[in-house]
Amino acid sequence: MPAKKDDTTELVDLLRRMWLIRAFEEKVSALYAAREIQGLVHLGIGQEATAVGTCSQLKPEDYVFGGHRSHGHAIAKGADINRLMAEIAGRATGYCAGKGGSMHIAAKECGFITATGVVGGTIPLALGAAFAAKERKKGQLAMVFFGDGAGQAGPFHESLNIASLWKLPVIFVCENNGYAEFTPLSAHTKIERLAQHAKTYRIPSSTVDGNDLFAVRQAARKAVEQARAGKGPIFIECLTHRMRGHYEGDPAKYRELSQLAEWKKKDPLARAAKVLKARKLIAAKEIESIEGEARALVEKAAEFALASPVPAPDDVSSQVTA
Amino acid sequence: MLPKLPRDRLLELCRRMFLIRHFEESLVPLHDKGVFGGHYHLYIGQEATGVPAISCLRSDDYLFTTHRNHGHLLARGAEPKRLLAEILGRVDGLNKGKGGSFHSVAPSLGFLHSSGVVAGIIPLSTGTAYASKALKNGRLTVCLFGDGSLEEGAAPEAFNLASLNKLPVLFLCENNGKYGAGRAVAAGQSSSMAAYPLTDLPKAYKIPAQLIDGIDAGLVHATVSEAVEKIRRGEGPQFIEAQTVRWPGSETNWPSVPHPTDTSLAWDASGVTEKAREWYHSCDPLLVFIRELVEAKQATKDDVAAIERQVKTEIAAAVEFAIASPYPKPEEAERNFFA
Amino acid sequence: MRELAYYEAKFEALDEIMAADSRVHLINGTFLSLSPHRHVFQNLAKKYGDRMMMPPISELGFCGLATGAAMAGLRPIVDLSTGSFIYEAWPQVANEAANAYSMSGGQTRVPVVFHLFHGLRGGGAAQHSGSPQAMLWNCPGLEIVIPSSPRDVKGLLKTAVASDNPTVFVDHTKLLDLRGDVPENDKPIPFGVADIKRAGSDVTLIATSFTVQVCLGAAEKLVKEKINVEVIDPRTLVPFDLATILASVEKTGRVVIADETHQSCGVASEIAARIAESGFDKLKTRIRRVSTLDVPVSYSPPLEEYIGPSESRIIDAVRASVA
Repeated sequence: MPAKKDDTTELVDLLRRMWLIRAFEEKVSALYAAREIQGLVHLGIGQEATAVGTCSQLKPEDYVFGGHRSHGHAIAKGADINRLMAEIAGRATGYCAGKGGSMHIAAKECGFITATGVVGGTIPLALGAAFAAKERKKGQLAMVFFGDGAGQAGPFHESLNIASLWKLPVIFVCENNGYAEFTPLSAHTKIERLAQHAKTYRIPSSTVDGNDLFAVRQAARKAVEQARAGKGPIFIECLTHRMRGHYEGDPAKYRELSQLAEWKKKDPLARAAKVLKARKLIAAKEIESIEGEARALVEKAAEFALASPVPAPDDVSSQVTA
Repeated sequence: MLPKLPRDRLLELCRRMFLIRHFEESLVPLHDKGVFGGHYHLYIGQEATGVPAISCLRSDDYLFTTHRNHGHLLARGAEPKRLLAEILGRVDGLNKGKGGSFHSVAPSLGFLHSSGVVAGIIPLSTGTAYASKALKNGRLTVCLFGDGSLEEGAAPEAFNLASLNKLPVLFLCENNGKYGAGRAVAAGQSSSMAAYPLTDLPKAYKIPAQLIDGIDAGLVHATVSEAVEKIRRGEGPQFIEAQTVRWPGSETNWPSVPHPTDTSLAWDASGVTEKAREWYHSCDPLLVFIRELVEAKQATKDDVAAIERQVKTEIAAAVEFAIASPYPKPEEAERNFFA
Repeated sequence: MRELAYYEAKFEALDEIMAADSRVHLINGTFLSLSPHRHVFQNLAKKYGDRMMMPPISELGFCGLATGAAMAGLRPIVDLSTGSFIYEAWPQVANEAANAYSMSGGQTRVPVVFHLFHGLRGGGAAQHSGSPQAMLWNCPGLEIVIPSSPRDVKGLLKTAVASDNPTVFVDHTKLLDLRGDVPENDKPIPFGVADIKRAGSDVTLIATSFTVQVCLGAAEKLVKEKINVEVIDPRTLVPFDLATILASVEKTGRVVIADETHQSCGVASEIAARIAESGFDKLKTRIRRVSTLDVPVSYSPPLEEYIGPSESRIIDAVRASVA
């Protein structure tokens, strides 16, 4: 689904992409429940606007790094959902030939370099990509996604410091969904807004409503302009919520049902659709067909994945070293 | 200014500063003659931070320090001869020769561990603080480190843990990163730390943080005393950044002494080589302290000279003791690495 | 004889340990990884909550905290949960905790326990399937404990906490539901004493952790082929009981070592070297290792199955050693 240049259709396209992520994640959940997918999966349902609002401002040659909850980021960056689903299902046709799985997606062709299962693990990596980009002088930049839990990890701080000192073209996107695994942020730190850390290291920062596609998009647009102009790193904190547990199978008893209900009202897809309708950029029927189209594409992806072969045992020895 | 202490305490602080100064200076010829090897780091230029700060502690408080630990150990009362023997790797050393300069300990004085890894001790200090709180023994932990430590991820992780758990720890950061003359100039922004001032880092965790002139013994003493009181009252961690001007002798690859310290320098530094003169004239905390002692009529120039003579004798004896101490037997390497 | 599940035995140990010594604190984790048996942890938390601390995601920070607390009189047990996460804390474990006692000339003791779950757990992929014990065996100053049965986990955990040395307690999620005999009022198990889990006469099969259970399964299958396998579980890597192994080698003359650490410089490598050095003349055939292959752990299940020390690879190795 290529993004179109025209501004009107661009916005509708963003909604399409959010729906693609939503449909994809819901399908992964169903497949996981049916034991077609094994291991651990962490779904980004409810965080679609942060993924799409930010990645939509990037070019294909810009680098994106993610974490354990990165299916949405990869899709937002333009990953092929067939190959993505196949990877999550451990198939030979997956992006990583079944070797990475849900937490270790790499889709190099669209600039999604890698995700990680280690909290904050890709933040230093994004620094490196930004460093290389700066050397190359072609205006490339790096964007890295992480959650509020990463804010207490040492490498996060080291990376902010270095990015600031060396004015690296890296955009730090913190998806603050209030929970690090099963623990609320308040139990992990006295800091309420991770953007505060960016300020300490003199990195321009903003905190936005992560469920407001347009607010995220605007913040990202500004950040991208600055980074490309060589003004150094930017930090965007998106306040959002994950509608599922930390991982599939997590009963999430630590979360109040009322909290979940509150966030349901702020569903990013519904809000974006509402805005587009109000601006007369889209009709109600169209929204339905967007959902339908997304689900149809995801069905195909699931079919493709499940029909694909598992890797052959000999494959383990391939691609260990270049 | 001078600490608000009675005369005998002030003279003791003076003696300990001299002890550190002459101890450290004695190491340079020993190293250059090959009596000991490996890298070593001197505390010269920071005496007015370590000595008054450590004097505020109780005898059962914990202290953690880094590779720049000689001054802290001596300020706390470690025997110079045993520290020197350790630096020389001899069996009568504090660690029986197994630690060397970087890892000298003195558990009875509260030094359980010194780390040669920058910021290595910062998480450890949250541990002893955690233990003290759990055991309700009222012991406080002082974590002594340099400005470089703040670049390590371990530091913010430790600040967060200390703040979250209201741990009884004083983070005392000795920022000796300032080059150049004149105390009026505050330490400039580091080229390796984006945060400035450094106190912004602990403040981000809601840890009260102060920035002080580390050459002012009285200010150090007052600030540390107050911070210690707050911690003892259960208010949680505190952070103090004490700034000093880097000793010119550390600018060379290996430490070198631009001019041997002598009481008379406090009043006449003209004999010092031009490059280092300004430092000895205005930034040497020991000389500043001596001048203030005499100006305040707490001691005469002769009193001070007498203290110095006594210290020099003690250091000379320590050197003799250390050199005479045998090396540990080689097989000792295989012993005592498990309790 | 009373039978308990492994996780029950482990938590019985934790309960008794916490009750007996108020200096013991638990830091991070639930000691259960993703196991559904959360109730045992919650029961523990109800009793000893004030001595249980849940830090943020700061392995470097809280392993350092645990080490420092141990230096100052507590006896903390840190749960790193997934074994690979110890890589985040490596400086504090390998450079501070391991060295402190020796560096200080014997003055500073570090009675801390670093607990972790190692190995191939099913879909863990490269970053959640680590077995760091081989690397840690190369850090002098650390004791390394690696149980494989309910009785062992209880007895060894007690000794680990009682030890004045920094101890790495290497557990495995696939053991948690295993059932086995655990006598009432059982005594702590000393370190450096291997356990013959199955007596035999034809081949000495040495394994650690969950692989012990896999070997016991393999041994049963091999009975049909009239191969009688002796399965030995070292239970602790540091200190290591070579004598029991050599006595077995004297009897069988054949050695297969199965372990989940990667082959190069792995646990099996070191055990093989020690046997070759001290028991060379007892061997009738070369020593065979069955280790996780030298590749990053792939995610897809058939790949993960392929690279691990599976029952079929173990059986092949045993057959080859008697051929």
